[in-house]
Amino acid sequence: MNKFIPLIFLICSFEVLSDETQIDFNNDAYPFSSEAHEVLFYSLLNELRCPKCQSSNLAGSNSPISNDLKREVYELVISGNTSKQIKSHLVQRYGNFIIYNPPLEPATYALWFGPFLLILLALLVISFVRKR
Amino acid sequence: MIPEIGHIILISHLVLSFIGGTLPLVAVYTKSKYFYIPVKKLSVFLFMLILMSFMILVYSFLVDDFSVAYVSQNSNINLPTYYKFAATWGAHEGSLLLWILAMNAWLIGFIFFNNSKDEDYTSTVFSIACQVMFAFSLFTLFTSNPFERILPIPPLNGADLNPSLQDIAFTVHPPLLYFGYSGLLIPFAIAVAAMLFRKDIKEWAGNSRPWTLMSCSFLTMGIALGSWWAYYELGWGGWWFWDPVENAAFVPWLLSVALFHSLIASESRGVFAKWSILLSIFAFATSLLGTFLVRSGILTSVHAFALDPERGLFILGILAFFIIGSLLIYSIKDLENQPTHSYELSSKEFGFLLNNLLLVILAVSILFGTIFPLIYEAITDGKQISVGAPYFEIILFPFALALGLLQGVGLYLSWGSSSSFKFLPRLIIESISIFALVLIILFILFDNLYLTSFATIFLFSWILMGTLQISKKRNLNYWSFLRKRAAVTFAHLGMAILTLGVAVVSSYSLEKEIIMAPDDSIEFGNQTILFKNTEEIMGPNYFSKSATISFSDGSNSYDVLTEKRTYIPSGQLTTEAGIKTELFQDLYISMGDNLEANIWSFKVQIKPFIRWIWLGALLVAIGSLLAGIKRVRRV
Amino acid sequence: MKKVFDILPLAIFIVLLVVLFSFLSEKDDQLETALVDSSFPEFSLFALSDDTKILSKKDISQLPALINVWATWCIACRVEHPFLMKLKNESTLAIYGLNYKDNRMKALALLERDGDPYEFSIFDFEGRLAIDLGVYGAPETFFVDKDGVIRVRHVGVVDEKVWENKFAKYLDE
Repeated sequence: MNKFIPLIFLICSFEVLSDETQIDFNNDAYPFSSEAHEVLFYSLLNELRCPKCQSSNLAGSNSPISNDLKREVYELVISGNTSKQIKSHLVQRYGNFIIYNPPLEPATYALWFGPFLLILLALLVISFVRKR
Repeated sequence: MIPEIGHIILISHLVLSFIGGTLPLVAVYTKSKYFYIPVKKLSVFLFMLILMSFMILVYSFLVDDFSVAYVSQNSNINLPTYYKFAATWGAHEGSLLLWILAMNAWLIGFIFFNNSKDEDYTSTVFSIACQVMFAFSLFTLFTSNPFERILPIPPLNGADLNPSLQDIAFTVHPPLLYFGYSGLLIPFAIAVAAMLFRKDIKEWAGNSRPWTLMSCSFLTMGIALGSWWAYYELGWGGWWFWDPVENAAFVPWLLSVALFHSLIASESRGVFAKWSILLSIFAFATSLLGTFLVRSGILTSVHAFALDPERGLFILGILAFFIIGSLLIYSIKDLENQPTHSYELSSKEFGFLLNNLLLVILAVSILFGTIFPLIYEAITDGKQISVGAPYFEIILFPFALALGLLQGVGLYLSWGSSSSFKFLPRLIIESISIFALVLIILFILFDNLYLTSFATIFLFSWILMGTLQISKKRNLNYWSFLRKRAAVTFAHLGMAILTLGVAVVSSYSLEKEIIMAPDDSIEFGNQTILFKNTEEIMGPNYFSKSATISFSDGSNSYDVLTEKRTYIPSGQLTTEAGIKTELFQDLYISMGDNLEANIWSFKVQIKPFIRWIWLGALLVAIGSLLAGIKRVRRV
Repeated sequence: MKKVFDILPLAIFIVLLVVLFSFLSEKDDQLETALVDSSFPEFSLFALSDDTKILSKKDISQLPALINVWATWCIACRVEHPFLMKLKNESTLAIYGLNYKDNRMKALALLERDGDPYEFSIFDFEGRLAIDLGVYGAPETFFVDKDGVIRVRHVGVVDEKVWENKFAKYLDE
């Protein structure tokens, strides 16, 4: 069923948008009017997780839910949403599980600051040991 | 009948490794000749046993003996013969047999090529290794027996090998990786024996160094092959996903690199004695941990084996026994009897210290990030989170930067006293020149410069010039100089090339999802892509719908085939990508969905310099193997 | 001081072991819903039974209710179906269906043949309401309380046991 979606989309958007914007089709499954939008779209596909797959991002999955989510992301991108807004939209629905970049919150402080604290700690220990 | 023989041989291996794991230790401690056993002969015998057992399993695959449960789960009559051979390690049970085989191979290598005259010490190393092999044999026989039978009515055909494993890379990636993982057994056993015997640091470090280097080499090759395979097999075009199982192999790699650098300092200068011991223990621990993570089911991954908590528990038990045991010895034994030289901050020793610090903390961070989702779920009472590529890349970057800068100057440093830093201005100028040269070449090739790649490209230049050391004053001529240091030159050069590959592919890649009907063509990058036609292909155990695509850059055109395969026994679908490999880029296309009639969606990508990543890794592996082999003969 | 450094690796490792051991014991493959305690989302989709009738949130009027995501391609849904029929007959709880990415004719035929436990089914061909609900497969079942707030979501078949453990308590409120 969802494999039809890019095609239906392509045909529909061609009819709706071709007079208003200069989208150059080139057989794009996901046509964009600006390169910035295109870059944003594909980078988001790499950062978002397929909720149903064992371990895969949207870019690497052709499962129905992934295709649906790609369409959702596409529509959000061409409506002018920012990366933050799009991720927040999806997190609202699927939880933090769906983004591969964990949020910065008290529960993840250890994750984000850990490595650098460890380096600091190690340097302190070394200088302490050297003094002796 | 034959599988039973394999089973019995495995049991004999169990018994003998128990004997090998206990008697020599008793003999050493009681100094009684009564318990003496010939270690060399026993190691050969053990190896022969496991080899036979393994070959019997292979044989069962090759003759389609579906009465063996493991064969029926992982093979099929129509499976091509070379895949039947590789299917031996296609799932949990068989891969364990491979692990044990690999451990035995390393042990024989150590016993025969180790020149230590201290027999007590050698027997102890042997014993500890036997204990580990015993634990694995026990695990295999009790929870994961590959020789279990389906009787009295064996199935007529098997379920088939997982289609994504039916690939050439699968015949080499697991064996290389397992040899890498299991090789860390020897440095571990040496470290424990060194503790028990209060061995001189320079001696045991020299003993351990070649084995660490060689294990690292195999790990490098195994990981690189895994990356290459994922790239062309999964259709996504990525080469590293920070998947838990990938990380489980990367962490021991990082630690083994840290270890052999530490051993260099330990052997030459007698420093880092306790640290080298600790690192030897933890390198092996993370190797076992990797095995645990992959097979216990606590982490979801494209790779995970049988999801079985009972097996996970057993592996955790093995981990606990050996690591707690060795760390207990570490805490109890007084190891502080070695006088150490002091060293300046500008010395080679300190350089190795920083190297180890960075590598180990990076390894710990990656390990932590990998299991963090589980920790998060526990502390937030059920909420779920994902920790993936974006996080790991952000963390990796500063570490890679620091390590790369260190690597560039490392070879200029001298032991002990302050090194002269006169080389620095020259190095900077050389690096900037190469950096500029690379940018010019990239601009000519790809018409673009990306700021995001600058730091990493500079790192490449820095490491390159720091390794080649063109301007360093020497007594020999340059080529003799390089020949003497062939191993380290290869290895560091490999890292440089790998870095360049990563830099370019990360910033210069292009991708797009497209829809085409036959005879459609599009412009993409500097290529014209033409969808020529589709075809139905019949393979030995699959049928496929294939699309012939031609890539042309104006002067030449080249056809690739991308397929959607349906494997007959399992009904599983795979996508095979069509790839054209050029010197400076890969052209990559994979089939998506059949939308209507002959209209298909595709994902097309251009991946510049991606092969340089694996080329670099190959050089690293060659360099470390060379270093290991040279040192075995010397010791 | 030295002794502390000597025991530290052992201590750290034991902690790691305990942590790993605890992970082995708990195993829940479900994605917890992010929509707990938020209102059921707005939507505007056709009804399964009538392709000219547009349904929206206000049509889910009998609250509390179960929203069950189902499809003809979903084999587990067939397993769940008898229990839903039982629920419909034995309790006052309304069950609404969300027909997910399905073929209309097949879906109607299935309800005709096996029975229809739903007040009505929403025809979500493109899976849009499903995305707004954080659905990633079928069957899934949501409990919506008397104020239209989602309280719990179950992924997988709802049977007697799941009902007792997960849903029953919300009925009593």
